[in-house]
Amino acid sequence: MTTFTFILIRQMPGNPFSIKVEQLMREQNLTVEEATNRAGALFDFDPNRPLLEQYTEYMGKLLRGDLGKSIISSEPVMNMLLRFLPWTLFSVGLGLLISFGLGILIGMLMAYWRGSLFDNVMTAFASVMYGIPDYVIALLLIIVAGVQLRILPFAQMLGGSTPGIEPGFRLDYILDLLFHAFLPVFTYVITSLGGWMLTMKSSTMSTLGEDYITVARARGLSQRRLLTAYIGRNAMLPLVTRLAISVGFIVGGAVIIETLYQYPGLGRNLATAILVRDYTVMQGIFLVIAISVVFSNILADLLFGLLDPRVRLGKEDAS
Amino acid sequence: MTVTPAAPEVVLSVRNLCISYLTRRGRLRAVNKVSFDLHAGETLALIGESGCGKSTINLGLIRLLPPTGTIDSGEIVYRRRDGQTVDVRGLTTGQLRQFLWRECSMVFQGALNSLNPVIKISSMIYDTAAAHGMDKKEARDRALDLFQKVRLDPRRVFNAYPHELSGGMRQRTLLATALLLRPQVVLMDEPTTAVDILTQRSIIDVLKRLREELNFSVIFISHDLAVAAEIADTVATMYAGEIIEMGPVAEVFYRPRHAYTLGLLEAAPRLSVGREELHSIPGSPPDLVEPPPGCRFHLRCRFATDECRTTPPPLTTAPEDERHTVACYHTATILKTRQEELARD
Ligand SMILES: Nc1ncnc2c1ncn2[C@@H]1O[C@H](COP(=O)(O)OP(=O)(O)OP(=O)(O)O)[C@@H](O)[C@H]1O
Ligand SMILES: [Mg+2]
Repeated sequence: MTTFTFILIRQMPGNPFSIKVEQLMREQNLTVEEATNRAGALFDFDPNRPLLEQYTEYMGKLLRGDLGKSIISSEPVMNMLLRFLPWTLFSVGLGLLISFGLGILIGMLMAYWRGSLFDNVMTAFASVMYGIPDYVIALLLIIVAGVQLRILPFAQMLGGSTPGIEPGFRLDYILDLLFHAFLPVFTYVITSLGGWMLTMKSSTMSTLGEDYITVARARGLSQRRLLTAYIGRNAMLPLVTRLAISVGFIVGGAVIIETLYQYPGLGRNLATAILVRDYTVMQGIFLVIAISVVFSNILADLLFGLLDPRVRLGKEDAS
Repeated sequence: MTVTPAAPEVVLSVRNLCISYLTRRGRLRAVNKVSFDLHAGETLALIGESGCGKSTINLGLIRLLPPTGTIDSGEIVYRRRDGQTVDVRGLTTGQLRQFLWRECSMVFQGALNSLNPVIKISSMIYDTAAAHGMDKKEARDRALDLFQKVRLDPRRVFNAYPHELSGGMRQRTLLATALLLRPQVVLMDEPTTAVDILTQRSIIDVLKRLREELNFSVIFISHDLAVAAEIADTVATMYAGEIIEMGPVAEVFYRPRHAYTLGLLEAAPRLSVGREELHSIPGSPPDLVEPPPGCRFHLRCRFATDECRTTPPPLTTAPEDERHTVACYHTATILKTRQEELARD
């Protein structure tokens, strides 16, 4: 994976080094050699060295936790990742949890009361929402709610937090964070809620047809117990895998939304890095994406084991 | 097994029960004008081909039909231990929840899928107890006792997840769970079809013992005539949604008066008799959306006459035993045929 991104990025057109070299030659009338040396010192990086050599060096440093420095700002990439990752994890994670929770609950009730007004309205809503891409929702929010109707104090809501506010575990800071996260989180929830609802509905429908549900009804169980431990828990199983897969796409999915809302997460930084061809930063972010995909698979296994005793192997069998 | 002369009281009385499913082709009448009485301690076996409506009757009795199924008409009256009668069709959802399992429980067809895979047997027991106000300690003691009675290792099963149990163990677990709240009636839908012959044997023995000890009534659905003959006091033969013959088990099996019951008996293998011929009944059950006129069985019946093709035969009582009822025009001929067959063997 790291190898792949390493090669891929280096094949992209518009090498920043040669751009800089050309710029220096044009502006300061330097020779090619002088310009190359100057740019090399500036970037702390020599793209004209053989690929293989660059690669070995990169991998060696990677193993030591050194991701290199940004070609543009010279800030260590690791620092940048640690600075931006929490924002993305917070906003996308919150959005994912809210939409998953709501989707499961509503989807289950849709199936439980299938054919009712509630079911019909929600199915229509979910189908429409499912079809609209997230950036369209974001643009609609900005234009309609922010600019035309002025219901939202739009300008103040952009960014990650109010400039100048001092970070800390205080109520006003937390509220400020939530205030600024509202737009991206809301957008994530709206765009993914429909999918969760529809999947949960169909999963619940097939669970409702299972014999053990009829048997549980025959035992006179209370509605609440039936919905949670018997219907909900079984219908949720297939969705857990999807939830974990979504965790893997946290960073990748945030690029457009974070850019639109100027939210200081990894997604927006990926967009910027791509624009200015900041190789090392791009590599760092792709590495985060790769790690989160691997991590999400482990997460899926853990969650599954927690919810489904049939995959919890070997623990009590010995005794 | 003989019914005591002073007939015990009726616990469940069903009259003219009609149940239909809504299908794409129209209304499918799965149960048509079914009537019977179930006495205290009695076991009634429902036998008949696949699709004749046996499971539908059971689900209808406890009002757990799937959403497409409805009870169109008829009466279901249940008599509680204190003598009060309950109109099952008139129960509200809340009342029904209280009625289920405490008065009338069920062991379903297919034990493999009858248990929630993600919770332990103990949770299932506690859930059931909690729904009916039995406290945890009592539920646990009673469950362990019942597990013992159905020959399970009580502690192991109590703490197990369903997938850790074999098919036979699950079936016994279900049987024990059905008796948790000391119901008067237990509905059993083919409780022994999914297990091997030895397990089946032991489940039947366990059931017979428990029945003597706890004195509940059973409606026992089975394809297996030998099992039905062994366990039942009364047998009802069903065809195309109707009970076409019903009576004490010996009466029906040795002196059948309906061509369909005769056909079933001729099709059943008997291990005790070596080289008898088995006959299947030609044709297949009728379409229940548009049932044939007259006797529903006439298309497959070797005794059918014009009368059978036009007018449905009324239910009549056998002269030898007033508990034996049958809906057929040719009772005498059929009885004679069976007697000759038995004499030949
Ligand atoms: N949910 C349903 N929707 C429509 N028709 C149904 C439904 N369930 C059962 N039926 C029909 O009702 C009739 C009776 O079915 P039922 O399950 O009661 O038969 P059964 O006697 O229990 O059969 P088996 O011995 O195979 O279990 C069948 O013709 C079947 O096709
Ligand atoms: Mg059935």
